[in-house]
Amino acid sequence: MNGRLLDNGFRLLGLVMIGVILCFLLTPIIVTTVMAFDARAYLGPLPPPALSLRWFAQFFSDDYFLRGLSTSVQLAVLSVTISLCVGVTTAFAVERASFAGKEMLISLFLSPLLVPPVVTGFALLLFLSHLGLINGFARLLCGHIIITVPYTIRATLAGLAGIDRSLTEAALILGATERRAFWDVTLPLARTSIVSGAIFAFAVSMDDVAVSIMLTDANTFTLPVALISSMRANFDLSIAAASVMLMLVTLTLIVILEKFVGLNRVIGQGVFRS
Amino acid sequence: MQAGRGSLPLLLPGCAVFLGFFFLPMAGLFLESFRLYVPGSIGSSANAPLTFANYVELLTPAFASFFFETLRVSLLASLAGLLFAFPLAYWMTRSLSARWRAIAVGFFVTLMFLSVLVRTYALELTFGAAGPLRPLLLSLGISPNGRGYIESLVGAGLLHYIVPMATLTLLGTIQNVDPRLVDAAQALGAPAWKAHLTITLPLCMRGLLAAFLFAFTFSISAFVIPMILGKGRVLFISNLIYNRFSEIADYPSGAAISIVLFAVALTIVYVMSHQVLKRWK
Repeated sequence: MNGRLLDNGFRLLGLVMIGVILCFLLTPIIVTTVMAFDARAYLGPLPPPALSLRWFAQFFSDDYFLRGLSTSVQLAVLSVTISLCVGVTTAFAVERASFAGKEMLISLFLSPLLVPPVVTGFALLLFLSHLGLINGFARLLCGHIIITVPYTIRATLAGLAGIDRSLTEAALILGATERRAFWDVTLPLARTSIVSGAIFAFAVSMDDVAVSIMLTDANTFTLPVALISSMRANFDLSIAAASVMLMLVTLTLIVILEKFVGLNRVIGQGVFRS
Repeated sequence: MQAGRGSLPLLLPGCAVFLGFFFLPMAGLFLESFRLYVPGSIGSSANAPLTFANYVELLTPAFASFFFETLRVSLLASLAGLLFAFPLAYWMTRSLSARWRAIAVGFFVTLMFLSVLVRTYALELTFGAAGPLRPLLLSLGISPNGRGYIESLVGAGLLHYIVPMATLTLLGTIQNVDPRLVDAAQALGAPAWKAHLTITLPLCMRGLLAAFLFAFTFSISAFVIPMILGKGRVLFISNLIYNRFSEIADYPSGAAISIVLFAVALTIVYVMSHQVLKRWK
């Protein structure tokens, strides 16, 4: 009898905890979205008396944010392209290789994921300034390549592991060259994994602060760095507008992932940072 | 072996990128951490003598307190994350229909992918000193600028990432636990709470430990969350590294803190994955 009472108590407690945590996860997002459309010129209490797009207009008239946005997009496109090429070739070479220490090599290639990003950024900053490389964009590009490459390697490795080896062998027996077998058989079969790796890399590049903040110079900075410094200076609602747009970017990436790869496969592949 | 030799040139771009952008910089960082720093200069001079001073300095109470603060807030946030994620994941696997479960998975993946900037800004806007909760907090006698509240806010920032991440990690684990085991225990007279405590929980231990490992390593290397939500009053080790670099240009000290943070992160991963997880196999 006592046990039954305890059971109901625990069940209730569990449901209450689920309710509390869902509220905690959702409230900030709802508040930010509502405030982004606030028509008032100052940060007032909820709910806003009238809605407008003034903060979105303000974001797009701010040169500081726009320059950050342009740098971020260029950087993401360039670094994802490079780390995709490097990641696919590396994963392909590691997968085919049969030397001892293959596992060790894979963990070396994934090791940047274990290093706190600030440490990676700081190490790169010291190294590049010793080499005399002070161009902001070039430094940022180096940083973004090294933080995205483990994701493209890992995703490609997962994709290659799922391919039946006899398919490639069949192509070779039927007279295809190694190169041809790679382009016509292996690559198409690994395509979904490679795409998910690219999406991950893009998200990581667009979202990074810790590495970028070390490598920026006065004229070259990314959007997240610009947002962070204005967040520290004044708590303006144009950042809420930027947040709403960033949420839309995230949502778009998730929809693409779901359409092309399927979210269940993505989770299995490790969404996790380490 | 033949195939292996043929693919070695393909390893070159990867090796070049990792050597130039990662392994050499990390080695340089290690070396820099032993350089003598002269206050007022930017970084160490080219041939500065080697010293342990940068590490010894970290043992002083002022520095050690940053480490303890980071570890304490991270530990509490990770444990709280598991506490909330477990019932959530259990409920998702056992009480939701396949359709709703897919929607819930999509929801948590989206939450996890959410930009850290959006996350921190949204939390500051909602729970911060100028947010809509201000009157409620003041009426409860909590100062939104008090240290305790700011610390909880940093913890909440970490929790906002940890809960979706841990829920998704635990989903697979709980799905692998045969629900008939608990049914059998209950049929034999055990109350549900006891059946879960002695059957479900031990069977999920590996998943829980894995989720804890992700949560804790994520937390101790967090940068943006404590930087914005901590308002300069709660600093994590990452923020300390950045401040050493940006405020006083003491690179050797920043390097020493970086090496210690890296060592702590590596030790946690090693202990968790090789020692603790092995015991639960």
